[in-house]
Amino acid sequence: MSAGSVPSGYEVSDPGFPTKEENYLTNSKGILSWMFTLDHKRIGMMYLVGVSVAFLVAGLLALGIRLHLLAPDGWLFNQSIFQWLAPEKAPNDIYNQVFTLHGAIMVFLFIIPSVPAALGNFLVPVMLGAKDVAFPRLNLSSFYLWVAGAVFFVMALLASGLDTGWTFYTPYSTTTDSSVILATTGAFILGFSSIFTGLNFIVTINTMRPPGMTWFRMPLFLWATYATSIIQVLATPVLGITLLLLIAERTMHIGIFDPEYNGDPVTFQHFFWFYSHPAVYIMILPAFGIISELISVHSHKRIFGYRFIAYSSIAIALLGFLVWGHHMFTAGMSQMTTIIFSALTFTVSVPSAIKVFNWLATMWKGSISLTTPMMYAISFIFLFTIGGLTGLHLGTLATDQHLHDTYFVVAHFHYVMVGGTLVAFLGGVFHWWPKMVGVMYSELGGRISAVLVFLGFNLTFLPQFVLGSRGMPRRYATYDPEFQSLHAMSTYGALLLGVGLFFALGVLIHSLLRGKRAPANPWGGATLEWNCTSPPPFYNFDRAPVVGDPYEFGDIVWDSVQERYVKIEPKREVVPETPAEQPAHAGGKDE
Amino acid sequence: MATTDAGHTSDVHVHEGHDSHDHDHPSYLAHHFDTPEQQFDSGKLGMWLFLVTEILFFSGMFCAYAIFRAWRPEVFEGCSQFLNTKLGAINTGVLLFSSFTMAWAVRCAQLEEHKKLASLLATTLCCAMVFLGVKAIEYSHKWHLGLLPAGLFTYDPANPHPEGGPNYLAYICAPFAVATIGVVIWLVVAFIRDAKFQVAVAKPLVFVCLSFFGGVGLGMILESGETPEHHGSDHVAAVHGDAEHGEHSGAEHGDAEHGDAEHGDAEHGDAEHSDTEDSEAEHGEGQQGDATDPEAADVAEVESTDPQPVVLQDPGSMMRDESDDLVVLERLASDATNTGLQDELSARRAQSQLSEGAITYDRTDDSSATIASTDDNVLRPSRAGVFFSIYYCMTGVHAIHILAGVGVLIWLLVRAIRQDFNRNYFGPVDYVGLYWHLVDLIWIYLFPLMYLIR
Amino acid sequence: MAPATMSLLGDYTNDFAFFPESASTFSADIDWVFYFISIVCLLFFIPIIVALFGFAWKYKKDKGLPAESQKDHNTTIELVWSIGPSFLLVVMFFFGARGYLSQRSIPEGAYEIGVKSMKWSWAMDYGNGVIHPELHVVVGEPTKLTMTSDDVIHSLYIPAFRVKKDVVPGRYNYMWFKATRPSEKVAKEELDRVTQRYKETGDAWDYDREQFTPDGYRFYDLYCTEYCGTSHSEMQTVVVVHETREELEAWIKKYSARPEGEEPAVYGQKLYERRGCKSCHSLDGSRMVGPSYQGSFGTMRQLADGESVRFDENYVRESILYPKAKVAAGYQPVMPSYKGQLSDDDVYSLVEFIKSLGDPSVVAAAEGDSEEGADETSAADGEGSAPAEEPATQDDAA
Repeated sequence: MSAGSVPSGYEVSDPGFPTKEENYLTNSKGILSWMFTLDHKRIGMMYLVGVSVAFLVAGLLALGIRLHLLAPDGWLFNQSIFQWLAPEKAPNDIYNQVFTLHGAIMVFLFIIPSVPAALGNFLVPVMLGAKDVAFPRLNLSSFYLWVAGAVFFVMALLASGLDTGWTFYTPYSTTTDSSVILATTGAFILGFSSIFTGLNFIVTINTMRPPGMTWFRMPLFLWATYATSIIQVLATPVLGITLLLLIAERTMHIGIFDPEYNGDPVTFQHFFWFYSHPAVYIMILPAFGIISELISVHSHKRIFGYRFIAYSSIAIALLGFLVWGHHMFTAGMSQMTTIIFSALTFTVSVPSAIKVFNWLATMWKGSISLTTPMMYAISFIFLFTIGGLTGLHLGTLATDQHLHDTYFVVAHFHYVMVGGTLVAFLGGVFHWWPKMVGVMYSELGGRISAVLVFLGFNLTFLPQFVLGSRGMPRRYATYDPEFQSLHAMSTYGALLLGVGLFFALGVLIHSLLRGKRAPANPWGGATLEWNCTSPPPFYNFDRAPVVGDPYEFGDIVWDSVQERYVKIEPKREVVPETPAEQPAHAGGKDE
Repeated sequence: MATTDAGHTSDVHVHEGHDSHDHDHPSYLAHHFDTPEQQFDSGKLGMWLFLVTEILFFSGMFCAYAIFRAWRPEVFEGCSQFLNTKLGAINTGVLLFSSFTMAWAVRCAQLEEHKKLASLLATTLCCAMVFLGVKAIEYSHKWHLGLLPAGLFTYDPANPHPEGGPNYLAYICAPFAVATIGVVIWLVVAFIRDAKFQVAVAKPLVFVCLSFFGGVGLGMILESGETPEHHGSDHVAAVHGDAEHGEHSGAEHGDAEHGDAEHGDAEHGDAEHSDTEDSEAEHGEGQQGDATDPEAADVAEVESTDPQPVVLQDPGSMMRDESDDLVVLERLASDATNTGLQDELSARRAQSQLSEGAITYDRTDDSSATIASTDDNVLRPSRAGVFFSIYYCMTGVHAIHILAGVGVLIWLLVRAIRQDFNRNYFGPVDYVGLYWHLVDLIWIYLFPLMYLIR
Repeated sequence: MAPATMSLLGDYTNDFAFFPESASTFSADIDWVFYFISIVCLLFFIPIIVALFGFAWKYKKDKGLPAESQKDHNTTIELVWSIGPSFLLVVMFFFGARGYLSQRSIPEGAYEIGVKSMKWSWAMDYGNGVIHPELHVVVGEPTKLTMTSDDVIHSLYIPAFRVKKDVVPGRYNYMWFKATRPSEKVAKEELDRVTQRYKETGDAWDYDREQFTPDGYRFYDLYCTEYCGTSHSEMQTVVVVHETREELEAWIKKYSARPEGEEPAVYGQKLYERRGCKSCHSLDGSRMVGPSYQGSFGTMRQLADGESVRFDENYVRESILYPKAKVAAGYQPVMPSYKGQLSDDDVYSLVEFIKSLGDPSVVAAAEGDSEEGADETSAADGEGSAPAEEPATQDDAA
């Protein structure tokens, strides 16, 4: 069929635009209606604003780090303004606090809640076809726990800062005089926020699926969220008890981690990474889910290997619990333990590779629209592939002895966390932005931001691989002069990346002011969220949704007159109640 | 608990225009659920997941327990003597009984037996308070003795019952006393104003509050009534245990030395420790004390002048200076059969000859380089504290869970008296019941690990 | 033109080379494994990227045009790309584990050096009381490091040798390596010239600037790679590889004690630089982690507990051996104890050095006051730390 035409015998089904009363953004007014809302969409939007602020703060700190590293003896924090701001602190101390807060805020306040709590809260019930998550109050309390955790971090910053690195390694964290207790309390609270979100999603996906939504008819984003939630529920409590013991260690000297009282600092590392390695997958798995959606929708083609992708998410979630030891290959574990952890680490790379191949196969012979979300998705695959492959250098024991705790590691995890999660998050925001706020952004602006982010990111972190393999240790405030040219490149890249990110922010804000009203289905997606209006009504679905195949694009056509995709259905007179294509596709998909 | 959110009623609708969605919803069914079954299943699954997080939360501490017990079994064996098994056993019984009443309460909620439900919930609460009362006695007694976490550990075997110090028991009891008085005043006021519902709630709560002091009394009787013999016997047992342990590990050491030298080398951190214990045991048995060992001499002196409080040796040996070890080593190594020790001694001499305090340390097997086999001086100050650290962490976090359970149970009690539950809606009772069983279960593991295994 | 380009390229590749120079038996192995993995990665990466951009370009279509195919699975090909790469992973794991095991299997009879790390300096222990921040080893001879830390976790990393191991307080970690390339010696004239310059200016030796040690050796960098606080990035030292064991022993001998006829204060300054004092105490009055030495001798010092004490020989000695006993007001009690690490003559030299930095008039007055203490200090010699304990016991009694 050609563009814009509706075949005879079919009629267009389009929900149109929501009325002011239906629209979840406008159906009740006032700040209190937001603060005490139990609506998952509003909670998701509040999370989105919250994590964006956290990202802005941590991103500016990152720029501070890079600017300081412009010169071998440090540049930014040597400036006299910092002596005036913090006369008690040497430039090195400022640098240490800045990189610690950059890491801690990025990890605990941004990356972990970014996709699951912000996008997930908005999307999970809508994609699932439910009215809300299972426990709306728990959902709201999880947001306020996030706020409380953020407040603790701000208090730590204002009290005497934090200089332990985001990993809180003992005995440094038990002996330093910075506000470790405030910060760990914050992280502890954020842990519970994360647990509540995960618990809510698991229950929602388990018990709130409407009739027809079988496990294998769930969009892959839901699979990824489900896997993420499992990790959140299983791993985060261990972080909680670890931080609690750390606080007890500082206040009462319980002698579990502090060698001065017969404790063992390496035990802390085991406890910490038992959470924090799975936490890496809390960060990246939802990104996989987003990319699966983006690639499929913008290629207008069924996702390739649905079951392999779904199962690989679960496999990553479970295997992720067995590999924490690879953060301690040089800490002096026994040989056998080290070798076992190395072997297990390699097994995690397999399910990640499966996904990359499947995404490429999805693009093959598709009908690709190079929209902003698709450009972000393509740069995700590029960057994540580099991040994943360099993980092999680190999982290999011999090379890890050289590369551990150097800039190679820094570059590797930034390729995964920024090139992976952040780029996917941006792609997801651009993809669902019309749905969330009901306006279209400037497509050209969005594409420019994607290109800037891609270039800036690579310029920032590619040199760091070379820095690392040449032996530049991480967390250094000053460095040997021979590393300067690479550091300078990295700094210029960071500035470009910053420009790209601000540009993306500008595009989104501009759309709020000047954007065109968004149709229900601007991209031609087949998942349920595109069936309701943009923005969705308060109860998500006016009538119970018809659950079809989430990746069946055959009945979605482009309406070039009104610039929207519409779903075509056989005329109602023919089959009044049950649309004919639903059982057909269900049969095709469910095997 | 927050997961009981599933039970919230739909009175919080922000948007009135959508009431049509709830036309056939009973008041206890939240707006976003279709059926009571869906709501119940969601709540139950949520609760189970929450319990999983709780188990993992505690598992961190169980791991710490396992690790440190494996490294220093003798510390755990010695220090466990300080715990009063009777109090622990009573608490176990109390918690088991409360689990029973809780399970029965769930059944009553399903059968809509409102009176019985309320009284069973009140009984469960009373048990929880008795548990806390007994715990208060245990804690205050140990704080008084100075049996505290590693950094604060002040227990002095020569003076186990220091005079003075704050009255910890009064501090613990104070908030409960305030709560009791508050509840009694509330009951009286409600009675005067003839507020039937409030009277019905306050009456059981008075019993609940009083049962805390019942627990305190029970603990006091067991602790004070038996203290002289109890402590005497405990301390004697401790000394015996130590002596036994010393012999035991001595035998082990013998094995090691007959085996290959490398093995002996790898073990010598442990061996050294057991040697000091050997010497302690010898002192305890009244053999000739070593004059160069002032602390041991002190101990001997205390024993000879005042045989009544038998001194526990273990904590004493934990704080000795390193120089003593060398003396003891030298004496023990003079026995020609003790080749392992002679090796050790010659290694040490070589080391001190190399340079005083030099850190070259001869060990061939790299993989055994763990905290347990390091030079003894890093293990020196108050080893016993580790046991009490773990003891306070585990029982303390458990007690916090009991307190949280008390809060939730009071909420349930109020709702039970209000007759909120029926055969279609008993989820909250069920969920709290699950939580309570878990708290009970954790104690069932804590009791043997802390009090019984020696 | 061509040679110019080549030399430019040479500079370029030197500046952007993947690895630092290769100077141990491990480095060739590890570099090889690294390149092997990198090539395998490229073999995957290039086709993936070609496909990614190729598909995006080739299958880019106008809106509304349907996809050419809706094929959504092919079990065979999916199994192939799931299981196929696993074999390469096994190979990588094997080479990695093999290289790792050779790093962990310490050969018998390796030359042993003790390593102690503290905030923020290294102390390499060559036996016989010779402790020096530089690591000196012999080429072709296996060297074993026995490492422990005084305060927090550090990590010893020698990029040129491709070895790294955490240095953990409360336990011993071990590392070994066999250096393959001896350090060059710089020409004597140049060494003399530079030494003379430092003598004139009185500055501390700048390794980065000179690129050789005060003894005239080129060196390899040694870094701390586990974050340890303020001066983590300055916690560096150097590795010198000697040609023969005799050369190493000669070097050790040079540092074993105060040379005959050297002034204690001069030797004290060397110890100040060598033993890590300078990472926390300045000589110019600027505030670092610890108080500056400048002009402090003979003055009254305010302590953290509110009392004050005269900054005399006894106080210096006590502060070196028992740093936490009397902490200066406004500073953290972070200094590690040097008990057992400095001979009495070393302590004496340091005291003399610090005394030489004080205001001469105040020093003279103080000397009159505490003659007894000074006598005791200078009288103490050689063995035992008994006299050293005396100030501490006095302190305890007080």
